[in-house]
Amino acid sequence: MTDPQTGQHDAPGAACPVCQASVLEGDVYCEACGHALGSPVCAFCDAAAVDPEGYCERCGLRQPTDRDHAEIVLVGGAAAVTDRGLRRSRNEDAMALLASGGATVTVVCDGVGSSPRADEASEVAVETAAAALARGLSSEEAFDLAGRAVSKLATSVHDAPACTYVSAVVEPGRVTLGWAGDSRAYWMPDGTPLTTDDAVPTGEITAWLGADAVGVTLNVRTFTPRGPGHLLVCSDGLWRYLDGYAFPRAGSPLDLAREMLRHALDSGGQDNVTIVVIPLGEAHE
Amino acid sequence: MSDQAAFTLTIDQNKYLPLDGREVHAILTVGSTGGLTTQAVPAEAAEVIIVDTSGSMSGSKIREARQAAVTAVQTLRDGVYFSVVSGTGSAKVVYPSGRTLSLVQANPATRAEAAKAVDRLLSYGGTAMGEWLKLAGHLLSTRPQAIKHALLMTDGQNNERADVFASVLSAWSGKFVCDCLGIGADWAPAELRKVAEAMLGTFDYVRDQGDLPEYFRRLTQASMSKTVADLSLRVWVPQAARLMFVKQVDPVLLDLTGKRADVNPLTGDYPTGSWGAEERKYHICVEVPPGQIGQEIRAGWVKLVHPDTQDVLASGNVLAQWTDDLALSTQINGNVAHYTGQAELHDLIQDGLSARAMGDVETATARLAKARDLAGASGREDTAKLLDRVVEVDPATGTARLRKNVDKEDTIELDTGSVRTSRLRREES
Repeated sequence: MTDPQTGQHDAPGAACPVCQASVLEGDVYCEACGHALGSPVCAFCDAAAVDPEGYCERCGLRQPTDRDHAEIVLVGGAAAVTDRGLRRSRNEDAMALLASGGATVTVVCDGVGSSPRADEASEVAVETAAAALARGLSSEEAFDLAGRAVSKLATSVHDAPACTYVSAVVEPGRVTLGWAGDSRAYWMPDGTPLTTDDAVPTGEITAWLGADAVGVTLNVRTFTPRGPGHLLVCSDGLWRYLDGYAFPRAGSPLDLAREMLRHALDSGGQDNVTIVVIPLGEAHE
Repeated sequence: MSDQAAFTLTIDQNKYLPLDGREVHAILTVGSTGGLTTQAVPAEAAEVIIVDTSGSMSGSKIREARQAAVTAVQTLRDGVYFSVVSGTGSAKVVYPSGRTLSLVQANPATRAEAAKAVDRLLSYGGTAMGEWLKLAGHLLSTRPQAIKHALLMTDGQNNERADVFASVLSAWSGKFVCDCLGIGADWAPAELRKVAEAMLGTFDYVRDQGDLPEYFRRLTQASMSKTVADLSLRVWVPQAARLMFVKQVDPVLLDLTGKRADVNPLTGDYPTGSWGAEERKYHICVEVPPGQIGQEIRAGWVKLVHPDTQDVLASGNVLAQWTDDLALSTQINGNVAHYTGQAELHDLIQDGLSARAMGDVETATARLAKARDLAGASGREDTAKLLDRVVEVDPATGTARLRKNVDKEDTIELDTGSVRTSRLRREES
């Protein structure tokens, strides 16, 4: 039989995971159907049958991609998770988390659902802005570069990929936040909002990155953390479920991020979820 | 395997399914450039021309048939292996003469000899199409490497037992392609439809016998232009899925579902016959197991294969993805809708004509009037015109009634022509 962990056929009399014909130890391909033996194991049906295109050759399901669920952990403990959620067909959120000199840099962007190729918008914005911040450029300069990169994806104002934006640069004794749209930052564990949305009361955002964005300026806020705690940066896939939520207090930043992701998914997972947790203050130095 | 022809396979579908969606539809377009490169060696071709010489062909019909068969012989390309068979209650090779079954290569001399042999054909006796096809099959089998084709020309109903005929068809199905031609107003399209469907060919009706030579010329040229023999569509579906149907929908409707040859539990081959430079469309429908929002599944993996060599000439994925976005899942793919409509038109005409033949005026009127509607809406002007001669629809009230004194040839033309489909007009796609 197939070992679901390794996908290796080690017992004589094993069967091809696709066509069930018997295969011999050491066979590279199934003689009957040509399936490449020892293929990666399907996340859904456990057959060692995932082909190079990412589909299982037995149950047909496409395997989760890196973007469907990803985690980043930095040496200092800062952690980030992003997840497709339960209701969206793909993850249009994007995130970056990196250490640069003495600073921790994070950028989270949420593709605007009504725009085309919003996943590309968020990805290019995050890459561009994070690289700029890591080079030491200001929050405004990084935002400006990201905006230009997103605008370039458009073929016209009617075909303009767009995304929201929030960045944080955490240096000893100082946190600089920049945002446009409705992606947010919070102080943990008490859950104090650190950003204010660019949005009308019904929820539609009034600022975003994209070729069709007009007169958008970055909101910037700089503060000194007063005590130990965590900076939370997230997309609306998490904060829509934060009313009355008791933030987790125990565990590493990765534990905290995973715990909050679980909360978002348990609450319905309507949207893509991105959560970045960066430790602040002496307790975590 | 020669690499002279290049194939493309493109898939047109709306992959989005609603949450409870199970049926995935796709239109596959398979195109071939034919073997048009200069170095290409033309594939070996084998042709058997079958002429019905049964008693009912006497008089002007047999003269026309002889003339047509001679034209068919004269259209043969030099080097093509061929033979002429006459059919009655049994089948007989009229050319080449000789004791063993064999085909002869076309050249000016053999074509002239064959023509002379055809000119001596007389009509007598019964009609046993299965016998004719069997002999054609044995003759064609003497050239195993060739692209095999037969032309069957007949005026008569088949006098064979239905089960005998059916067993011949199933035994030889996929071994060679046979195009059929019905002659005169007194034949039953149903018999030739059986042959065409089993043998992956066409069947047609030539109303004016003076048009026969031109028809044969066109058909012979089409079969001579085939350069790649016997390709199959190899269709994989997931373990928990069900392949509902595989149909050719363009240029003519041909249901391939029952012609499946299992490759393994998940995969089957569907024969498509030989290919020249041409384009055909297929409609496949897969029922997938229930899925979750956002999940994507490969509902079908389609390959154009050479079943003998296992060479894959082209391939594509039929996908499905579940979504709760109704704007996505309710979009109807233009091509899928169009060919679903063309198949429905075919069924309406067939049902309508057979109801009419059985005297069920109500059903016939309803079906044919609806067919008239659909034919008009989908750009089938010729079909609409023929339907107008059979059924009359009051444009103001929509009330329909069957016409009296319908020309039998109109109904035959309507019947045989209903397998043809139109292309989707550009502005609709």
